[in-house]
Amino acid sequence: MKRLAVVAVAACCIAAAAAAQPMVQRIGDRQARYKQMGAAVKAINEQLHASNPSLPVIRRNSALVARFAPQVLGWFPRGSGPETGARTRARPEIWTDAEGFHAAGVRLVVAARGFDAAARGTDVAAIRAAMRGVAGACSGCHDDFRAPER
Amino acid sequence: MKRIAVWDLPIRLFHWLTVLLIPALWWTAETHRLDLHLLLGEIMLGLLLFRILWGLIGSSTARFAGFVRGPRAILAYLRGQKPTGVGHNPLGALSVLLLLFLIANVVGVGLFASDEDGLAPGPLSHLISYDASRILAERHEQLFWMLVALIVVHVAAILFYLVARRDNLVGPMVTGGRAGEEGEPAMAAAPAWRFVLAAALSAGLTWATFAIL
Repeated sequence: MKRLAVVAVAACCIAAAAAAQPMVQRIGDRQARYKQMGAAVKAINEQLHASNPSLPVIRRNSALVARFAPQVLGWFPRGSGPETGARTRARPEIWTDAEGFHAAGVRLVVAARGFDAAARGTDVAAIRAAMRGVAGACSGCHDDFRAPER
Repeated sequence: MKRIAVWDLPIRLFHWLTVLLIPALWWTAETHRLDLHLLLGEIMLGLLLFRILWGLIGSSTARFAGFVRGPRAILAYLRGQKPTGVGHNPLGALSVLLLLFLIANVVGVGLFASDEDGLAPGPLSHLISYDASRILAERHEQLFWMLVALIVVHVAAILFYLVARRDNLVGPMVTGGRAGEEGEPAMAAAPAWRFVLAAALSAGLTWATFAIL
């Protein structure tokens, strides 16, 4: 009986570790994708700050943001938070305030779509205005659901 | 006793605007008001460029050639030799050079840095990759804290002169002058057209950095 308990506990530990492993992987994956989005947003803002913005550069990068935006909510399965022990700035509120997090994700999708549509045109002022919407969606979610650095 | 000129108005304005800007720049970075941070950084760049130009063509106490001294002069000053004329003493000159050098480094690196979300990239960050601009953002912060350490030394030195030497260095930096002996050489002011030239050049260079490059 005692031996059985030991085996059961050990099995549970192994199972938990095995379950945590994909979660750690998920954290790494989403961080890599966020970096890609950061690089795309950087490239867009650099163009929008320039006196003569390159529309092809803006479009290439807005396409990436529009493609990733609807995926973002899916990057945060329950259990992929700080409890994994991995280095993540995902705050527990993502899961305790799932409704708020969902709303923030939807806001990003809407803003990114609007930006992608504006970027297909040639009206730089409209593209700039649409970018402010994306920036607001990014920052709004980061303020509530991302822990500060360190 | 009579009053003699020590620092001209451009030097004093540069000094006190920098005193205001550095905490404001820190605060806007800390609270992620990055658009404001970039605007204040642009002003800091303009002031820094002006100070460098003023160190070449400005009043006598502003000029690098007038106040930068070698190690021998610094050692002599530390041994108690009284410096000649008004302006920075040989050791203070070293501190001024280091402060300007560090501000130039913080500002220079900041031009290429970007926040992790890419929302407020520096005006020259388009020349480098996202990853490189993130490394430089870390350097930007490290260099800032080195600058803070140097400012602590700077303020401590001023307090030392005030308390131990009964020499108020803050007063002249506010009013531009101090009490002097009869016949003691004062600051030689620079003509106004040089100020216009230095101000126009530094403003133009700053604008070019932010709008053209």
